[in-house]
Amino acid sequence: METQKDLTTFLYQILENSSEKTSLDWLNLQAEKIHTEGSPTKFFLAFSQASRYFKKLPIGLSEDQKQKASKLVAGFDPSHWDLLQTARTILLLHFPQEKTSWFKAINQLFETGDMHEQQALYSALPIMPFSEELLPRAIDGCRTNMTVIFDAIALNNPFPSSYFPEANWNQMVLKAVFMQRPLYRIQKLEERRNLPLANIASDFAHERWAAGRPVMAEIWRLVVPFLNEKFLDDLKKAISSEDLLQIKAAVLACTESDFAPAKDLANTYPEIKKEIESGAISWEKIGIEFQSRV
Amino acid sequence: MYIDPHIHVVSRTTDDYEAMRKAGIVAVIEPAFWLGQPRTEVGSFKDYFSTLVGWERFRASQFGIIHYCTMGLNSKEANNVALAEQVMELLPLYVGKEGVVAIGEIGYDDQTEAEDRFYRLQLELAKEVNLPVLIHTPHRDKKKGTTRSMDVSEEHGLDPKMVIVDHNNEETVKEVLDRGYWAGFTIYPHTKMGSDRMVDIVKQYGPERIIVNSAADWGISDPLAVPKTAAVMRKMGIPEEHIRLVTYQNALTAFSQSGQMDEQDWLNAKPVDQTRKLSGNSVLRGGQTPRVEGDHDTIEN
Repeated sequence: METQKDLTTFLYQILENSSEKTSLDWLNLQAEKIHTEGSPTKFFLAFSQASRYFKKLPIGLSEDQKQKASKLVAGFDPSHWDLLQTARTILLLHFPQEKTSWFKAINQLFETGDMHEQQALYSALPIMPFSEELLPRAIDGCRTNMTVIFDAIALNNPFPSSYFPEANWNQMVLKAVFMQRPLYRIQKLEERRNLPLANIASDFAHERWAAGRPVMAEIWRLVVPFLNEKFLDDLKKAISSEDLLQIKAAVLACTESDFAPAKDLANTYPEIKKEIESGAISWEKIGIEFQSRV
Repeated sequence: MYIDPHIHVVSRTTDDYEAMRKAGIVAVIEPAFWLGQPRTEVGSFKDYFSTLVGWERFRASQFGIIHYCTMGLNSKEANNVALAEQVMELLPLYVGKEGVVAIGEIGYDDQTEAEDRFYRLQLELAKEVNLPVLIHTPHRDKKKGTTRSMDVSEEHGLDPKMVIVDHNNEETVKEVLDRGYWAGFTIYPHTKMGSDRMVDIVKQYGPERIIVNSAADWGISDPLAVPKTAAVMRKMGIPEEHIRLVTYQNALTAFSQSGQMDEQDWLNAKPVDQTRKLSGNSVLRGGQTPRVEGDHDTIEN
């Protein structure tokens, strides 16, 4: 309960600097009513109508605020949130957390939500109560074709890495690759790498090559701990590409691997290795550069 | 630039969306209606309403078209009273959502008692949430049905300027305009208006409070009816400003009374946001000259 209160205070402070006073007054009034009356209808209406008071402008967190967020709830990272979803999350946190009625209301909200409402709900998964029981909802949410909703679950969100079983985790990561989403924004991507996922990634790259399509450079991050002759052949193919980003990514994968032939291959690219050592090449930078082309 | 303020795009293909954008349509309004056959479960309504504010809006945005909708229980399905009561419980969940610009399309079909009951309940709902109303006037016994729709609306104290009476024809237009309502005209082959008749109406009544739409749906209909009718008007010498009013501005003025529709939504639209784009989908962007020419620029009557 204490965390919930701290979270509301934290989110409210974020809004305070960038919202109209009348909007904040409206939010306070609604939050108070939702909390004391516990009426789902009032909650639904306020949740929808928040769009009349708050804009979809980025909240722009400071470094301090980012740290504060992850201190409140491990991995919680609202740095990509907008004002509207922040306000909606505040309303959500005020709805009484009595399990049966909470699930009834939240399920209805998920089922009837428009795109931005669903975005708000899925990004708030890590600060909702009853996390384990929300797992089926999160898995189902990944089946969306709306990128903002997929991003709300998959990116900058600690929920999948904490709760998704391996098969669902792998499906989510592969879907992110398929939709060309920035993999570096998936939390604990490295910690949850696994051999089946590395094989899926390799198969996917072969499919793309067969179709004459480029492969997303970040994908090679997934094979690093499992590098063997087979994956090394893939990296060699990537290195033979004319795209410098592919070459950088493949050399980075080789550098990070313990597989001796991969290390040898990396050593034949001393300039790229130097950039890797200086931090000029990293998975995040490769991801950012790739996204700027999509 | 055109607005098609009445089109059921859930039934249309991506070819249609591309053609609409190319012809200069920047925004559409999709009124909640029936699906060609009656629904039997309230869940079907829920998923349909969710589609209108969710997937369809996203789909439209991929073609550079801003999608709005109206929410309501249509008159045909109001006749299944047990189901209609459940739908009425569902509506408050949707009427406050972003981009919901009216309660509609509601009104009469067979002019039964049940239709009357749910029409009145929804007029009250519109008043409560301060949204405009989009009235569907019946195909059969149209003149009487239109008059009755307005009588009942006034009985419930709605201001005519908040009400758009749709699917007008030569027989209904005078009364609708005289009583201060917005008059919608649907250019839809065979059952409603043809574009030549529309020209005559604008010539006779002028452009004030007249709104042209396609009501294109799953039937034989034309998603380009608005730009095509504008082209016919141009050919027939209707002043450009009048064309702009009946194919763009009047719809904007009427429905923006909801506070949910703003010209800036498309004038200031970011180039289609790449993070919202589906892999592999191409998107038409601005810069194309609206172009409607050729043998098919008249909608047959």
